[in-house]
Amino acid sequence: MSTLTRGAGAGAEREWGGMGERLRGEEVGLTEPGTMAAAAYELLVLGGGSGGLAGARRAAELGARVALVEPRRFGGTCVNVGCVPKKVMWNTAVHAEFIHDHADYGFETPSVKFNWRTIKEKRDAYVRRLNEIYENNVKKAHIDIIRGYGKFTADPEPTIEVNGKKYTAPHILIATGGRPAVPPDSKIPGASLGMTSDGFFDLEELPRRSVIVGAGYIAVEIVGILSTLGSKSSLLIRQDKVLRTFDSMISSNCTQELENTGVDVWKHTQVKTVTKSSCGLLDVTVTSSVPGRKPTEGVIRDVDCLLWAVGIRWPPARVPRGHRLSRPSWGTCRGGCRFPWQGVQVDAKGHVVVDEYQNTTRRGVYAVGDVCGRALLTPVAIAAGRKLAHRLFEGKRESRLDYHNIPTVVFSHPPIGTVGLTEDEAVAAHGRENVKIYSTSFTPLYHAVTQRKVKCVMKLVCVGKEEKVVGLHMQGLGCDEILQGFAVAIKMGATKADLDNTVAIHPTSAEELVTLR
Amino acid sequence: MAALQRRRLLGVSGLSRTVRALSGMGCPLGSGLAEAAPPPKAPGEDLPSPSHDPHGKNEYDLLVIGGGSGGLACAKEAAQFGRQVAVLDYVEPSPQGTKWGLGGTCVNVGCIPKKLMHQAALLGSALKDAQHYGWNIAQPVHHTWSVMAQAVQNYVKSLNWGHRVQLQDKKVKYFNMKGSFSDPHTVRGLTKGGKETIVTAENIVIATGGRPKYPMHIAGALEYGITSDDLFWLKESPGKTLVVGASYVSLECAGFLTGIGLDTTVMMRSIPLRGFDQQMASLVTEHMESYGTKFLKRCFPTKVEKLESNRLQVTWKNTDLGTEETDSFDTVLWAVGRAPDTETLNLETVGVKTNSETGKIIVDASEATSVPHIYAVGDITEGRPELTPTAIAAGKLLAQRLFGQSSELMDYDNVPTTVFTPLEYGCVGLSEEAAVQCYGSDNIEVYHAYYKPLEFTVAERDATQCYVKMVCLRERAQRILGLHFIGPNAGEVIQGFALGIKCGATYPQLMKTVGIHPTCAEEITKLHITKRSGLDATVTGC
Repeated sequence: MSTLTRGAGAGAEREWGGMGERLRGEEVGLTEPGTMAAAAYELLVLGGGSGGLAGARRAAELGARVALVEPRRFGGTCVNVGCVPKKVMWNTAVHAEFIHDHADYGFETPSVKFNWRTIKEKRDAYVRRLNEIYENNVKKAHIDIIRGYGKFTADPEPTIEVNGKKYTAPHILIATGGRPAVPPDSKIPGASLGMTSDGFFDLEELPRRSVIVGAGYIAVEIVGILSTLGSKSSLLIRQDKVLRTFDSMISSNCTQELENTGVDVWKHTQVKTVTKSSCGLLDVTVTSSVPGRKPTEGVIRDVDCLLWAVGIRWPPARVPRGHRLSRPSWGTCRGGCRFPWQGVQVDAKGHVVVDEYQNTTRRGVYAVGDVCGRALLTPVAIAAGRKLAHRLFEGKRESRLDYHNIPTVVFSHPPIGTVGLTEDEAVAAHGRENVKIYSTSFTPLYHAVTQRKVKCVMKLVCVGKEEKVVGLHMQGLGCDEILQGFAVAIKMGATKADLDNTVAIHPTSAEELVTLR
Repeated sequence: MAALQRRRLLGVSGLSRTVRALSGMGCPLGSGLAEAAPPPKAPGEDLPSPSHDPHGKNEYDLLVIGGGSGGLACAKEAAQFGRQVAVLDYVEPSPQGTKWGLGGTCVNVGCIPKKLMHQAALLGSALKDAQHYGWNIAQPVHHTWSVMAQAVQNYVKSLNWGHRVQLQDKKVKYFNMKGSFSDPHTVRGLTKGGKETIVTAENIVIATGGRPKYPMHIAGALEYGITSDDLFWLKESPGKTLVVGASYVSLECAGFLTGIGLDTTVMMRSIPLRGFDQQMASLVTEHMESYGTKFLKRCFPTKVEKLESNRLQVTWKNTDLGTEETDSFDTVLWAVGRAPDTETLNLETVGVKTNSETGKIIVDASEATSVPHIYAVGDITEGRPELTPTAIAAGKLLAQRLFGQSSELMDYDNVPTTVFTPLEYGCVGLSEEAAVQCYGSDNIEVYHAYYKPLEFTVAERDATQCYVKMVCLRERAQRILGLHFIGPNAGEVIQGFALGIKCGATYPQLMKTVGIHPTCAEEITKLHITKRSGLDATVTGC
């Protein structure tokens, strides 16, 4: 593989002028990280998370000289405080669900106790192992690792300064990700007493009393894990449903399932103040304003886990992973400000503005992943990073990620799978008369013999005479694994007739999708 | 929730498909002949039969013999067109005396009970994993067969009832009778009590499915052995079990018996999972060995004797060593293949041709037999996959062609299937061997990966056999010919890809789809190592 792609990389060097050739000549003897003279790299990557690593490694495979700036452990959000540890905890919680079902399937499990520390230690060990694997992968790819936080300097050419040392390259990739936000104490007194999803992964014990604030997928996933594992959990949401950007069926069903599994969902509710009691626990004062009724105030007492899942912040509000996109003074420029020195435009929310090729507004500077604020998913960042590398170092001018029909799974209980347009989006885009919905609701075979019953709901959104499938939304056992293949077909433009012509696999839940009537 | 279950029970959704036995691939279908002990007040019983036509014409537009997946689907679809439809179903008790209700193999002695017992076994493994996830569970955990079996049997009975209700709702006349042809339009139905009814019909569909075979030449085989027709209906644990055969039925049964903690041995004379990709088949059995199933390879039994202890002593030949060996078991399960259930149909009288070797009915692309108005669907037909979903689809399409002015034929290409062994194996399209044979090894590209499911890492489970392989044409577009996946939830994973492949998916199209992280299914969209390259196909990192 490596020889093959190196060959392709040579072409890229020609394309990008003499620089590549010159670098090639200097390569020998200049391998010690940090000693590289300015402009010696072809690609500088800020951030060793999913997108940065993927872009850096692919560029290196294609023959580029790459340096990666990362102050902390490799792997970014996904590996350290995201997908990976989250899914481990979800799996842990799934065992709690199985334990309810064991007796129904003939197993006698008289005494079952859960020990949070066991899984915390195993999870941490696994994450550390991944950190090492990632670091080794970077080293194996002959990518220089620059330890520290990077920031752009005022130099005329895009330049990054790390620990007082300047680095430059014709291509600079911003892949610094995002960080969960906590409301300022000025808005909600005591808000800073709470934690975020980052803090969730530091918990040493299962909280006895949890309050999760937010209605997005992170809130849903975390409250699901905590509640299933036995923490008395409340979810505070501003409207009456969670996941409001999802299809309405998912939004309603997920809210219902949370309530079914014992999560105390406080609707139309916002936190007013947070105070710490003498025993170190938190009292969370909330206001509930059901439309048409007088607002009421309530207090949730003795909370040992208050977790904000109210969004992700990008620069400039808080510089993710410590990297700085510009000078410290930029905290003042909100709302589509430009940085005169760098010309890297950031939108009102702090996302780096990029075009469909991941170009920022400054030539030679690119951004991928969560820092762009679009489709905040590991595989998206990875794919975008790789596509960019192929464009920059293999001369594939049209190499870019298609952001349509990206499948997403929420590891709720049961899991949610979704791809494409929601019903409302399809109606808005194509008109009610051109949209046909197929849906089903059933109890999966697994639950045929269990006391515990959790239904599965599925919806197919089709448009036009040919009934092209533009959206698939489902929640139920196995939907996490069902979605991927259907996403392939939907991306290919599958129609309802194609689904009808596919033979079912019996007995599965997935077969319900090819037998919808 | 009750309402929901009821909906499920009565709905078109799951029920109609419940008939496929033992796994994805061959779901030997509808025993066809059915209802051993008719419930006292079965719905449908009260339906008036259509009045006899005064001009001596046939009573029914369609008569279906066999109330399994294919037969019921065909009958119900025909009834949708307002036609007069009848179904004959009768379950001949197994040699061990096991009998069951309406719905055929899948519902009663196939897919459904098999998958449920597979789920039980998965829960058995989950108990072991749970320790690693921080759950302290007092060991050893005991499994009670009768609790599981009772739950499974109750569910199956609810499905039998559901099928009866569906027939009634759709105004399909149901006869709990064994049918045999007396002339091309007339079938003689015989009840358990010997009462005879003559049914005449314009069109007749044979869908009597198949039954497990016994190796009649082995002394004691029939007398002491059981088959998959009996296993799910056992009231007590089968105990230490010898499963003879290398079919998916054999491996699935041995898999779940091992999973619930029974001492289980598979005896196979030749290769496992014949007809499936053999690399995948080897991985499946390799995993079962590591899972605790014992294998006696290249061995075949010669006799079964009953010991005084009531245990069964089995003697076999080991063809590798040329020796004769013996051991005792509580149960001997024959899973040596299935035979079509045509014997009592009296097919010769009406001229319906069968394959002399297999005994299966010869049909054309429109499921027509050698007699113009007689058709056959499902496991009874020659050369068709023995799968519930194909039987259902074929039955429905047949009814649409007969009564709905449709000309659409069943497409038997790219039929996906899943073997529910402890580590599931799902596939669609060509095996690597078949692709090589069809296109030549120079013209195919095989992408593959050994991956580790995230749920295995913390649980410290060995993922050596978690493997995915995609067989593509090598030309520029790289159309996908076959996809093979071993891992958790293979059945759920492969269905959507089967749709993509049916739509003509190519390797680049698959690669264009963003993965879903962290899942097992995403490994398929990340395939990039070719077999030809000889590179290590182990997945590292995200």
